[in-house]
Amino acid sequence: MTDERLVRALSKDGLCIDYGACVARVRSDVPAFSQRFFQLYRHFDLFARAPFVDFHVEVSRGRGLRRWLRPQSRFLIDRVQPFDPFAASHALPHYEWGLNWSFAQRFNQYVLLHAGVLALGDRALILPAIPGSGKSTLTAALMLAGFRLLSDEFGVLRPRQGDFLAMLKPVALKNASIEVIRRFSPGAEIGPIFAATRKGDVAHLAPDAASVAAVHQPARPAVIVFPAWREGAALDLQPQAPEQAFTRLAFNSFNYGLLGRIGFDAVADLAAACPAYQLTYSSLDEVVSALRSLVSAPPGGANG
Amino acid sequence: MAERIPRPLAHLLAILQEPQHVQGLALSDWEPVIRLARAARVHATLGHRLMANPDCWAAVPEQPRGHLEAAMNFAAWRRHLLDMELRALDAQLPAEIEVVLIKGAAYQAQHLPLAEGRLSADIDLLVRRADLDAAEATLVEAGWRSTVTDPYDQRYYREWSHELPPMQAEGHALELDLHHGIAPVTSRCQPDPGVLWAGRQRLPDSRYFVLDPMDQLIHAVVHLFQDTELDGRLRDLLDIDAMLRALPDDGEVQNALAARVAMFGAEVLFWHALDACQRWLGTPVPAALWPAPPAQLPRAVMAWMLPRTLLPRLPEARAGLGSSIAERLAHLRYHRMRMPMGLLLRHSLAKGWRRLQLRRVR
Repeated sequence: MTDERLVRALSKDGLCIDYGACVARVRSDVPAFSQRFFQLYRHFDLFARAPFVDFHVEVSRGRGLRRWLRPQSRFLIDRVQPFDPFAASHALPHYEWGLNWSFAQRFNQYVLLHAGVLALGDRALILPAIPGSGKSTLTAALMLAGFRLLSDEFGVLRPRQGDFLAMLKPVALKNASIEVIRRFSPGAEIGPIFAATRKGDVAHLAPDAASVAAVHQPARPAVIVFPAWREGAALDLQPQAPEQAFTRLAFNSFNYGLLGRIGFDAVADLAAACPAYQLTYSSLDEVVSALRSLVSAPPGGANG
Repeated sequence: MAERIPRPLAHLLAILQEPQHVQGLALSDWEPVIRLARAARVHATLGHRLMANPDCWAAVPEQPRGHLEAAMNFAAWRRHLLDMELRALDAQLPAEIEVVLIKGAAYQAQHLPLAEGRLSADIDLLVRRADLDAAEATLVEAGWRSTVTDPYDQRYYREWSHELPPMQAEGHALELDLHHGIAPVTSRCQPDPGVLWAGRQRLPDSRYFVLDPMDQLIHAVVHLFQDTELDGRLRDLLDIDAMLRALPDDGEVQNALAARVAMFGAEVLFWHALDACQRWLGTPVPAALWPAPPAQLPRAVMAWMLPRTLLPRLPEARAGLGSSIAERLAHLRYHRMRMPMGLLLRHSLAKGWRRLQLRRVR
């Protein structure tokens, strides 16, 4: 489709986008949204139709006079607006946030870990972390260094198979990390900065073509790393006992409590299946090469 | 009485009746079926019915199966929450107050198959009118607060309703409805409290009671027609369908139920419920259960109104003129059944006047 036709389709019946774990149909008549959307999702195929859509969402301008005087961005799922509107200029972060919310609300067939997931081949690196630990920065750097990105926000663990699905969305970089990633990789496809959102300044890194191409390939957990960035710290990887890894994984999950036994079994299996480390770092270059050798180590190695 | 049921809805109703129906569905048929099931809050029930049959479950494509699994996991969690809440309430409510579980809590506590996957939004408890104030006071002490703060609405509930306004407690996912009757004080269906309470049954190893199974069915019928939440009504119809199917094939039981329906003055509601179950869920209804049919005109009105208000719609399906009129009518009718005409007029006037005043203030 040409750009113009895409914009028209987006505002009319919407476009379908395949995130790996789910397919969303997105509709929007907010001009500031469509431009950013096409920019960040440039490597994705967008379809007018999909045989099965999981989420029907909309980013829409306000109603009535408001629509013209002070345009807003309203996020709707199934025509229902679950939270307050944003300013129209913040329509894109609003959409990203709204879709994350919808996914976390509804996709309880999977264990949803709060984790970045990347892979080399089918060997997955899981980066569970609490907000503010520098997970997104590290995830972005790893993708830019050639890892395949599966997700920045959701580690989508299939309880029966024990593997991870991609939930491939733009990586939300916050505040200082926007500049850090620009310096790390000057060619990085980073969108505009949205100032003063509820998470501070936010800019999005577009998923690369290789990650998009592999969006339907699940990856098997190979290594779990709990990252913590500390200024000036030397690189340090401390092995974690499985029971320690278990509690930290469960604690960093969106729906562990809801899933009861299913969640317990899946997380216990995950903690038993692969080695876990506590990582402290300050230099992205150093940490990328350390994690590359950790993930590509053949199974049955020192910690396997 | 030809009615046009949209294809996706016809699929949903067909699967609920006969899970084998999934064998003929393509992936693209599934999307609206899942969405309708979600809109009606029956998606977890749908999942359980399909999973019970391995052939049918295997015939569900991966994507819709994911939605059904998610719904079943969610329902299991709500069920667990409800169990925990009942345990906590057991400790809080004075032992001398007899508490009857109604609706979802009752189905779950009796381990009825229909409770499998049924999503309850609230916990419904029934106490005697004389125990109402004491029960409310203990609940307030335990942290439960009324969701209605407006004095007019509070007075309305207390004077004319069969339940207190819904209560919430901080950190608790479920709302609590404290009832002192199963039908609004002014409804034309008036079960005698003495008869109702005499039929209660104590749950094994529990402080809680449930209603006589016949009264549970009658209550489900009253609830179906006297509730303003129009979006969960297919679920309520499924409750009735399941209870009808579970009735023993015994003429004496059926006659007793029919007599009880008549004694409670619920014939008209019951007739419409049987009709809807038979028509949309293929429920086999024993001949002895049918009350005399309502008069031609009200019957025609209901036949037009019910499919438009009781069956789920896709979110994008614009409510046509017919449907919005039907919804308004259903709403009016709902109030008509809860209040005598004089009171309805007074209530509508009061509400309208207050709305006008509020608008002026703004």
